[in-house]
Amino acid sequence: MIVFNTFLKVVKSSLTPIIMFTLILIIFGITNFSTNDNSLNFEVTKPDILIINNDKNEGLTKNLIEYLTKNSNIIKVKDDKYKVDDALFYRDVNYVIIIPKNFKEDFLNNKNPEIQIKSTKDYQSSLAEMMLERYIKVASIYKSQLTSEDKIIENINETLSTKVDVLLTSKLDANNLNKMTFFYNFANYSILAGCVYVICLILSSFKNENIKKRTIISSMNYKEYNRKLLLSNSLFVILLWLFYCILSLLLIGKSMFTYHGLIYILNLFIFSICSLSIAFLIGNLINNKNAINGIVNIIALGSSFLCGAFVPLEFLPTGVINIAHVLPSYYYIKTNEIIKSIEVIDIHSLKPVLANVSILILFTIGFSVITNIISKNKQKIG
Amino acid sequence: MFYHNFKYSLKILLKNKMLIFWTFAFPIILGSLFKMAFSDIENNEKLDTIDIAIIQTEEFNNNQIYKKTYEELSNKNNKNKLFNIYYIKEKNNLESKKKANQLLEQDKIVGYLFLENKKEIIVKTSGINQTVFKYVTEEIIQTEKIITNLIKEGMSSNSTDQTINQLYEKIYDKVLSINENNTILKDTTNTNLSYTMIEFYTLIAMTCLYGGILAMTSINNNLANMSSKGKRIFISPTKKYKTIISSVLASYIVQLIGLFILFIYTVVVLKVDYGNNFPLIILLALIGSLAGLSLGVFTSCVFKNSENTKTGIIISLTMLGCFLSGMMGITMKYVIDKNVPIINKLNPANMITDGFYSLYYYDTLDRYYFNIISLIIFAMILIVISTFSLRRQKYDSI
Repeated sequence: MIVFNTFLKVVKSSLTPIIMFTLILIIFGITNFSTNDNSLNFEVTKPDILIINNDKNEGLTKNLIEYLTKNSNIIKVKDDKYKVDDALFYRDVNYVIIIPKNFKEDFLNNKNPEIQIKSTKDYQSSLAEMMLERYIKVASIYKSQLTSEDKIIENINETLSTKVDVLLTSKLDANNLNKMTFFYNFANYSILAGCVYVICLILSSFKNENIKKRTIISSMNYKEYNRKLLLSNSLFVILLWLFYCILSLLLIGKSMFTYHGLIYILNLFIFSICSLSIAFLIGNLINNKNAINGIVNIIALGSSFLCGAFVPLEFLPTGVINIAHVLPSYYYIKTNEIIKSIEVIDIHSLKPVLANVSILILFTIGFSVITNIISKNKQKIG
Repeated sequence: MFYHNFKYSLKILLKNKMLIFWTFAFPIILGSLFKMAFSDIENNEKLDTIDIAIIQTEEFNNNQIYKKTYEELSNKNNKNKLFNIYYIKEKNNLESKKKANQLLEQDKIVGYLFLENKKEIIVKTSGINQTVFKYVTEEIIQTEKIITNLIKEGMSSNSTDQTINQLYEKIYDKVLSINENNTILKDTTNTNLSYTMIEFYTLIAMTCLYGGILAMTSINNNLANMSSKGKRIFISPTKKYKTIISSVLASYIVQLIGLFILFIYTVVVLKVDYGNNFPLIILLALIGSLAGLSLGVFTSCVFKNSENTKTGIIISLTMLGCFLSGMMGITMKYVIDKNVPIINKLNPANMITDGFYSLYYYDTLDRYYFNIISLIIFAMILIVISTFSLRRQKYDSI
């Protein structure tokens, strides 16, 4: 009980960083969860477009704007050069279309008006450009054949409203699965940082020379002492894990109560235990309390950046992913990504998940063995 | 005396391992992590060739518009190549569909086109690639539609002198030959659009402000209520301004050395682009460091807490400032700039970040100078307050 009480004291004193790691997770969770209702129908990706219209809003110009409005998200920004450029730089808009004065008249009279555009040169902007080009192409064709503006507009609208059917084969709730994956990937940082920080702090407090001397001469068997320390640390990790699971329930909602959700939770559990073993190893290696902060940051930030906790794995360069293979976080995050795309949960589809979990367990065993070897060598105090 | 104190302040700072780690090594490590994580993001966002499949039904083989358009869009020599196409032809349509579904399941294609009585695209999930595929297919259908529409118009207006076939051919040629040459799209985007640069600018901002810890440590050594060293210096018959200024100068020098190393590292190894105006970049770095220094001096003089608390104050202020100026996601900076600009106008981390941003992205300098002046005002206010709180200190007992 004495060991446990001391343990609790140290944990209490380190609540602030844990709250901070959690707050970061919540803030990023909430800001990154897109809120679109996912249905089982195909949803078109809509680029974010900013239109600056210097022409009168009538006839063909009006029709062009209506067409763009229907097929994209129109973003409103104050009409100021800086504001528009900022919006483009920070990807608030993907494509800016500046319709010149007298566009409609010039277009209909074959005067080749020039539309200025600004583009972020990414997927969305290419899509926006396709839309704009198509409208102009269709309008040009009708203009060359027909004379009345109303007739041209009517034909354009009729043509552009022709659609193709898109069928979706996946019955997965992609929106919620994305949220879960994001949350649990990010939890990699919070759990790792929380575990390493607190456990290192605890171990180094117990390693204070005077305290250690007292413990050694006390009647308590060192095995019992170690066991109690390990138990209380495990308890802490399990509480942390439970806490993040409840948090995910609150943030994501009832879709956590599916088989997919269960696997995410179990995966996090395995990873938490692995973090515990990492924390124990580091706690045994360092003696300086002041160094803890630096080490936590390097380990937690490092493996989160390299293994895809912050930036999705698909966006990481292959070189980085190759390096990531030596880190346990990679296997944890990879599993999350696999779960996201599993349609039917059965032995066959879970094979890669099980493989990754086994690697995590091997990591845990490996770290524990190394810790034991090191701590055995450190038993004596001079 | 000035030189003596300066020399020893410098030595004390450079020998403090923790300080050197946080102000020298940590930014470099963080910068390397940023580079590794973000280097491919922007390339991945560019439209790449999309893998699709087309089931070669009879309808498809007989339809020239479809066949030609897809051939053109998947042609290796076309610089606008959009698709990689798997043509699937099994014994019957059912078998072909099965094969296509298999490819879809293995994520080898994003979707496939099935042309029979009705036109269908089958995809696994919604997404941008799928949307592009849908748009292109629709474009083909719409081209067909245009031809039929125009034939209708042509028939009703002058149906006497030509047969449907003649009309069809005439319009078909016309439709295919028209390009957008009628209206030109003129791209006026600024060339420097790489938003991940902001991450590195916040890193510089963080280093400048973390430099405050150096100034704080240095001042603490002169304060009687902080250390025994401070007590000794306090009762020595030296002018206070001499010891204080020499200590602060030493910390500024150490800070600049750290910043210089970081600059070299980001430019040479991480290939960060700061724009082309070299003297202005240096000016911003010098004044940014001054702001960090003033933050450190202020914390050290005004707060009467332990050294750890003071360090905590500087670190949390710096991290909060960096968070608001986009270090943990650049959207944050934009959201604040757009909705509550006053916060970022008062945030020194953002003044530094925004200064680099305006040098990189804008061709005018007014925004840059606004940030420089804000930083100077920020530094001056803090330094003046600190000076007043340092004057005429007396201790009856300590």
